[in-house]
Amino acid sequence: MAELDDDRLIWMFTQMVRVREFEERVKRTFEDHPGVIRGHTHLADGAEASIVGSLATLRDGDQLIATYRCHGYPIVLGTDTKAIMAEIYGRRDGLCGGYGGSMHLADPERGFLGTSGIVGQGIPQATGVAFAAQLRKQGQVVLAFFGDGASKQGAFHESLNLASLWKLPIVFVMENNNYNVGTRVEQEDANAAVGEPLSVKAKAYSMPGVTVDGGDPVAVYDAVEPAVERARSGEGPTLVESKVYRLSAHGNIIAPPGVPLHYPEHEAITVFGNSEEYEAALRGDPVPRFRMRLVEEGVLDPQRADEIMQEAREEMDGAVQFALNSPFPEPEAALNHVYA
Amino acid sequence: MALSREVALDLLQTMWRIRAFEERVAVLKRSLQVHGLIHLSIGGEGVAAGVCRQLRSDDVVYSGHRAHGHAIAKGVSMNAVMAELMGKADGCCQGFGGSMHLVDRDQGFLGATGVVGGNLPMALGSALTAELGGGDEIAVVFFGDGAVQSGHFHETVNLAALWQAPLIFVCENNGVAEFTPRSAHTVVERVSDVVAPYGFESETVDGGDAASVWETFAGALTAARAGRGPVLLECLTHRRRGHYEGDAQAYREALEEEQWQAHDPLARLERRALDEGWLDESAAKAIADHAGAQVEEAVAFARASPLPDPKLAAELVYAPA
Amino acid sequence: MAREIPYIAAAQEAIFQEMGRDDTVLFYGQDVAPSDDHDFVKAYGRERVRVSPISETAEIGMAVGLALAGYRPVVELLMAEFMLVAMNQVVNEAPRLRYMSGGRVKVPIVLKAGYGFTAGWAGQHTGSIYSLFAGVPGLKVALPATAADAKGLMTSAIRDDNPVVYLINYLLVLEPGDVPEGEHVVPFGEAAIRREGSDVTIVATGWTVGRALAAAEALAAEGIEAEVIDPRTLAPLDMPAILTSVGKTGHVVLVDQGTRHASAASIIAAEIAEHGFSSLKAPIKLVTALDATVAYSEPMEAYLMPNEEKIQAAVRQVLGQAPVAA
Repeated sequence: MAELDDDRLIWMFTQMVRVREFEERVKRTFEDHPGVIRGHTHLADGAEASIVGSLATLRDGDQLIATYRCHGYPIVLGTDTKAIMAEIYGRRDGLCGGYGGSMHLADPERGFLGTSGIVGQGIPQATGVAFAAQLRKQGQVVLAFFGDGASKQGAFHESLNLASLWKLPIVFVMENNNYNVGTRVEQEDANAAVGEPLSVKAKAYSMPGVTVDGGDPVAVYDAVEPAVERARSGEGPTLVESKVYRLSAHGNIIAPPGVPLHYPEHEAITVFGNSEEYEAALRGDPVPRFRMRLVEEGVLDPQRADEIMQEAREEMDGAVQFALNSPFPEPEAALNHVYA
Repeated sequence: MALSREVALDLLQTMWRIRAFEERVAVLKRSLQVHGLIHLSIGGEGVAAGVCRQLRSDDVVYSGHRAHGHAIAKGVSMNAVMAELMGKADGCCQGFGGSMHLVDRDQGFLGATGVVGGNLPMALGSALTAELGGGDEIAVVFFGDGAVQSGHFHETVNLAALWQAPLIFVCENNGVAEFTPRSAHTVVERVSDVVAPYGFESETVDGGDAASVWETFAGALTAARAGRGPVLLECLTHRRRGHYEGDAQAYREALEEEQWQAHDPLARLERRALDEGWLDESAAKAIADHAGAQVEEAVAFARASPLPDPKLAAELVYAPA
Repeated sequence: MAREIPYIAAAQEAIFQEMGRDDTVLFYGQDVAPSDDHDFVKAYGRERVRVSPISETAEIGMAVGLALAGYRPVVELLMAEFMLVAMNQVVNEAPRLRYMSGGRVKVPIVLKAGYGFTAGWAGQHTGSIYSLFAGVPGLKVALPATAADAKGLMTSAIRDDNPVVYLINYLLVLEPGDVPEGEHVVPFGEAAIRREGSDVTIVATGWTVGRALAAAEALAAEGIEAEVIDPRTLAPLDMPAILTSVGKTGHVVLVDQGTRHASAASIIAAEIAEHGFSSLKAPIKLVTALDATVAYSEPMEAYLMPNEEKIQAAVRQVLGQAPVAA
């Protein structure tokens, strides 16, 4: 197992902060610049440790497919955050030219092959990418990111069976945040309903399944890294259940044009009236938690921590400015890219 | 609950009816008096009879494309099934459906389906209506091992467990799906291992031992009726003929006659009944002959039945307002 | 160098030869080569030729992933209706990912299946549902009607950088045809004039092409010369060729095995009405399957389907030689 030295730990903290600052600005755009973001966005605030801990295990050439809650992954992989924000704002200089929007980011050159807006449907696609990796024999590994809601989809079942059967080099990373929009996992999952971790589902495919605290990036790294090595050595897939808490609602409200969009409160409060749960999650916020730990362990001094956070704020403020000033695509461009 | 003479004879009669029916259909198919895609249940009689003979008409059964045996055991008239296979107006579906789409609402046979796995969520729906109605009727869904890898199975299993639905999953695991062996479909040999994470009761039995199927299913039925949730009954069985009639089966080793004899549910139950003294040779032969006669009646009935009026084809598309 | 081989063999031959030309071409699906003795496995090995379980969402979803990662999978789905199990991957993912990424990715996949087997395969295995797919931007749809086209269109499908729904008609599987031995490419978007004539234009797809040709022979004996056009692909659709013919004949009969409400014929009729109206000397006539699930029993199944007699009757109608049918 590769060691995480101080530099690596500081890098992890930096990425977590960058993702958080980015997501906050997406959310703030609804207040500060109403009408700029259209449609549906989904934020990863609260899941930074899981995203960073997972991606820290990858090396050049590895690939991933994610869900519509996808901003975090390209940020960590090094995609230009100005381009990501411009995409969310629907601008010509967006990562995908304004064609996809928040739910459909892609940066294939950095291994981020894309997303699906349909729950669970990126899992079989990631399985196919792993099939390709197996054929190439260059030791590539693929991460499939999805939520707990996706684990009830037939696509989940079919993909895990095939990956196990063909020993594909893939790690299935389930970010279990206990909610599927406004439904709690115990209401829809037979395992959760009896208090079992969702990782038990792996047994149905003869593959290892582990559950990890997704709020601790080192713990996530320690769980995903051996799974990645297992996949790389041809021993097949693993299911990693990473327990996270998303700090925002599922997404911004859905409303017809003309009604201002915004982020409502978390469903724990709006649907279940459970403010205590939400308050507890805020207190356990993984970003300040990790900062505190690194400072306490002497890995990071507080001044450097502040600098990192300031740099992240400036970077993301710059992303917003760039995106606001970025032109819209020409309308006729809508007919491009239909066919290769 | 041990097998009694009464039950054994009833099972034998049902199994003989299915065997005679299917063998007759094989002949009719070769001479094209029955056409289209036909999948026979020879070898599966023990499961069909052992399960369906314990059900009431308000218990609903769903099957897949290999459904003749299930339909007959559930009480669908052989006349109606044979006429359906011949595409006649007196077929159970008036000639509209054919072999893979048999339905008989009165007998609780909600039917055969043509897309592997598609019947599972439907059966769940029926099981839920039983719950809603407050009675103790249950639903049974028959499927093969090939369906277990389909997404439909997974989605149905999770919900059946979550909602403790009175649904009995009967998997006929014959080790081969269409033309490929189970090992090409999954690393997990036993279907019961696939549902293990969902915590519901499951049993594996020798599908060629009709008595064992009957006894085990009786337990599952009691549990389901008592509201203890879904049950999986995995019946290890053997498909005697090809996937469909006309399948040359180059992909399988030629079946050894001893292997077949070792599995044949009909021969085995008959031997046991004879050993137990529940009947003698001549009574056993009488059952077989009677079944054959009933099948011939069905053939005559079907032949005498008229073809449907072609114009009907454009009707029945929608339920009337 | 052409020789006669059956339609189904021609389609397979294209896949086999393309796999030889391009290492990135893969072939998998249910029951595809379960035995190691199969020609494909002997030539290309078990990595590139695989058998999959009954898992359409995964089979098609994986194809998308493979394509995103630089491969060119051909997925054998057996029956068009089985694609419906994975409709999301076929309609909502494969053809849309390139667009949504602003052109950053491409999804070169071929989804191969059969359709239209009106031989008692009954309601769930017999549909002609290709217009469901032809209406999706980003998807291409090929319907070979001859053995040569089965090979040529498959070759084009594999080389195309877009997702292609390639559908063989099960009624044609054993139809022999002259098929070139070597490389044979039939481009997408180019209709074939199967028979020249100047009295009426008949556009037909798949198995109905043969019915239209038979009807044309019968009509020729009465002095009616029909031009029979086979579009070969529904998306892209060669409307220029059809419109040129309409300009020549002024009379149109559109034949399709799909149900009227969602047939290729309906799409073509609208295009002619808009772009070829001034050429028309009579209303357009459609000869399609009736709007019902395909019945099992033979007389009912036949009643629902287009056939030579219905095509002939339609021709006479548009030529004003028969009273308008009820």
